[in-house]
Amino acid sequence: MTEAGSGAPGAGPSPHPATVLDDVVHQRVRLGILTVLSEATECRFAALRDELGLTDGNLNRHLRILEQAGLLQTTKGYEGRRPVTWLRLTRAGRAALRAEVTALEQLVSRIRTATAADEES
Amino acid sequence: MVQGSADEAAETLAALKQLRERAHRRAHGGAWLPALGFAVLLLASAALYRHPLAQPTSVDATHPFWAGLPDEQVSPLASYLFWFVGTPLLFAVVALWYAWRARRHGVRVAWPLVAATGLGVLVLLAVLAAVPVGPVPEELVFATGPHWAGLSTPLLPLAAAVIVLGRAEHSRGLLAAGIWIAALTVWLCTSFPLGHLPGWTSVLVGGSGLGGQLSLRPAHYLVLMALPLLVVAAVNLATGRRPR
Repeated sequence: MTEAGSGAPGAGPSPHPATVLDDVVHQRVRLGILTVLSEATECRFAALRDELGLTDGNLNRHLRILEQAGLLQTTKGYEGRRPVTWLRLTRAGRAALRAEVTALEQLVSRIRTATAADEES
Repeated sequence: MVQGSADEAAETLAALKQLRERAHRRAHGGAWLPALGFAVLLLASAALYRHPLAQPTSVDATHPFWAGLPDEQVSPLASYLFWFVGTPLLFAVVALWYAWRARRHGVRVAWPLVAATGLGVLVLLAVLAAVPVGPVPEELVFATGPHWAGLSTPLLPLAAAVIVLGRAEHSRGLLAAGIWIAALTVWLCTSFPLGHLPGWTSVLVGGSGLGGQLSLRPAHYLVLMALPLLVVAAVNLATGRRPR
């Protein structure tokens, strides 16, 4: 009998979902940033800050980390005379979010299956 | 301890789902206006036909089908102007709408891609079918199979724009509506007279295999095309106004 999610028979055991979690993405605020940005083509800095209830400085710190990892792009411009910053997820950012959510779902299902088996035995 | 990790991960997933739904409403809560605009344009085009609802004894149609569907037009020139002025006008109104939403809500939708697709296919159609109107080609009449010349219709650019809008708005409903309009257009415009049923469809229901014709008129088909767009617009408007 193979373990849940262990892949095709004969293949080696799949890595534990916890090992797939990416430190850059896994942080709660950064997961929130990626989630909000995944729904829009572009999102204004202020809109993202309000949506997540963060301060400018806090949001900036997380954005820098995500930008350095190549997960998002920023574009600066003007609306009238007001400077605005637009944020956009990169392809890698979308893939990283998908991978993180899948890993979390697998983790939950794996732990719950193991707990249920323990309770039965 | 381990159970605690599972609960924490489950909580994170639930919080992300909530956040995604809220962000979706914020980013795509304006899809109702373009959906409604496309539906209105489709329904308004019923005025381009000489007999939009009544069943005439004979139909004097010209090709290309500038009104959209293969039926008798009031004036091919009026049909041409309706689509080639009306469609860019609709895109202009929708562009203003998205610009206003971007300022108000701070989110942008990939709207320029929708306009580029719709207008691009429309311009391509104008180039390919720029020849003056003439009689319906013989191969389209009493069709034995689909004849693709009939696809020189302004309904296809509209369908293409709705499909791309569905992608930009992350809306399966709009995607389905665009595919539905395209499918109806391909069926209706590749044979003449309007509503021709190929032989195999009557075989499916136990008929003789000679085919037939549905007795619906252009306005009926346009309502069928517009219906999914109206449903999507109503649902989008209702969910967008739901208290958060």
